[in-house]
Amino acid sequence: MLLRLLRRIAFWGAVLAATGNVIIRPRRFRLTSTIHHLEQVCWRAVPIVVLITFLIGCIISQQGIFHFRKFGADIFVVDMLGVLVLREIGVLLVAIMVAGRSGSAYTAELGSMKMREEIDALRTMGFDPIEVLILPRMLALVLALPILAFLGAMAALYGGGLVAWLYGGVDPEAFLLRLRDAISIDHFIVGIIKAPVMAAVIGIVACVEGLAVQGSAESLGQHTTSSVVKGIFFVIVMDGVFAIFFASIGM
Amino acid sequence: MAGEISDAIIRVRDITVQFGKTRVLDGLNLDVKRGEILGFVGPSGAGKSVLTRTIIGLVPKIAGRIEVFGVDLDAASAAERRGVERRWGILFQQGALFSSLTVRQNIQFPVREYLKVSQRLLDEIMVAKLGMVGLRPEVADRYPSELSGGMIKRVALARALALDPELVFLDEPTSGLDPIGAGDFDELVRTLQRTLGLTVFMVTHDLDSLYTACDRIAVLGNGKIIAAGSIADMQASQHPWLRQYFHGKRARAVMG
Repeated sequence: MLLRLLRRIAFWGAVLAATGNVIIRPRRFRLTSTIHHLEQVCWRAVPIVVLITFLIGCIISQQGIFHFRKFGADIFVVDMLGVLVLREIGVLLVAIMVAGRSGSAYTAELGSMKMREEIDALRTMGFDPIEVLILPRMLALVLALPILAFLGAMAALYGGGLVAWLYGGVDPEAFLLRLRDAISIDHFIVGIIKAPVMAAVIGIVACVEGLAVQGSAESLGQHTTSSVVKGIFFVIVMDGVFAIFFASIGM
Repeated sequence: MAGEISDAIIRVRDITVQFGKTRVLDGLNLDVKRGEILGFVGPSGAGKSVLTRTIIGLVPKIAGRIEVFGVDLDAASAAERRGVERRWGILFQQGALFSSLTVRQNIQFPVREYLKVSQRLLDEIMVAKLGMVGLRPEVADRYPSELSGGMIKRVALARALALDPELVFLDEPTSGLDPIGAGDFDELVRTLQRTLGLTVFMVTHDLDSLYTACDRIAVLGNGKIIAAGSIADMQASQHPWLRQYFHGKRARAVMG
């Protein structure tokens, strides 16, 4: 356990060192690879992320209206939706989806490269696998998650607003007016600031698991599973830590 | 392994490698001379691949010293190490081609990285290397998954040769090839060694390879080199494993 923790910390160090190297010598940065991964983890994830967050927005709104109506407090659903989506659900849900979608893909890719000795081949040719394989993936994820979290939050608000209108009779104008009162830019910042950190955690977990794959297909399966499980776990833990932090600084 | 060879391209001294409690290599010494093809044999699981991987820096050793091109790899700076890595080529047992890249990109990968050359020149280099290993340029745009086992080995060799290395490591280059393919491959290695002046370090199981391709043979057993010399020395050796290996049924068949 302690050894594993040490290995993870060492890996953070290696990634930071490689980042530093690339910053000093920007020509060694792999733009093509980064763009390729950005397409995979960001652009191609947009439909599913938007769809799911849209549906979750609809459900939150419907449930809110259904229960708040008993107290005649229908309109407060807008407050709940706004705060919940921008602060928590938007980024958390998207991070969990990304961990399941891209974290697993990273682990499987790197794991099969490890099994085929491709990573050894890279190393013996004088390349740093962290610089060539990990850094572009990490960077793509760190850029992708805030974008996806933003799109997800918008889709959830849109879905929630639609349900509030059709099901709860809150027309769009009233919804927007109420939303403007209910939320401030702080809510949005709190949500979006978490995104890159969660992306980095998902990326590190996925890459460490990928590189830990040993020769067998079974090992690849195990590490892919544990990449997703640990990724989601750490995302939720991070979210809790952030909640405590923001509460204590009064945001 | 008595006596220093002055023009050794690889010099391995007192290498000890341990996995858990099992000692795989135990104070091993080996020299590889410039320009020779060294065949490296030994029983399965004796640590032939481990030695190769230790020399190229993939397996950590607990003791000993490795010099390649006269550079002590432990003492070398990152730049010196890169310099050494640029001058060797490695053919892994399974080829280890990058599965997400085409044959063309695989061969051009190291060249693109170390030299600033135009795409046209890169393509010419790629075609030349493919020609060297006996493949036609048509395979250039295939992915490794679309190649046969023999073709993968050839492409991997072409990639290993991409930067015109002085030293090539071959890990069981003929395993998994049919006898004709294996024979061609031996011939190919021999030709390349003669025309390019390569030094070849070849781990093998294949008796044919030893007879037709290798200048010198080193035998690994119990974590040490138990014998090294020409094929005639091997046949004359009284070591029980060597006697079995070089005088067994298969060996007699090879010798005719």
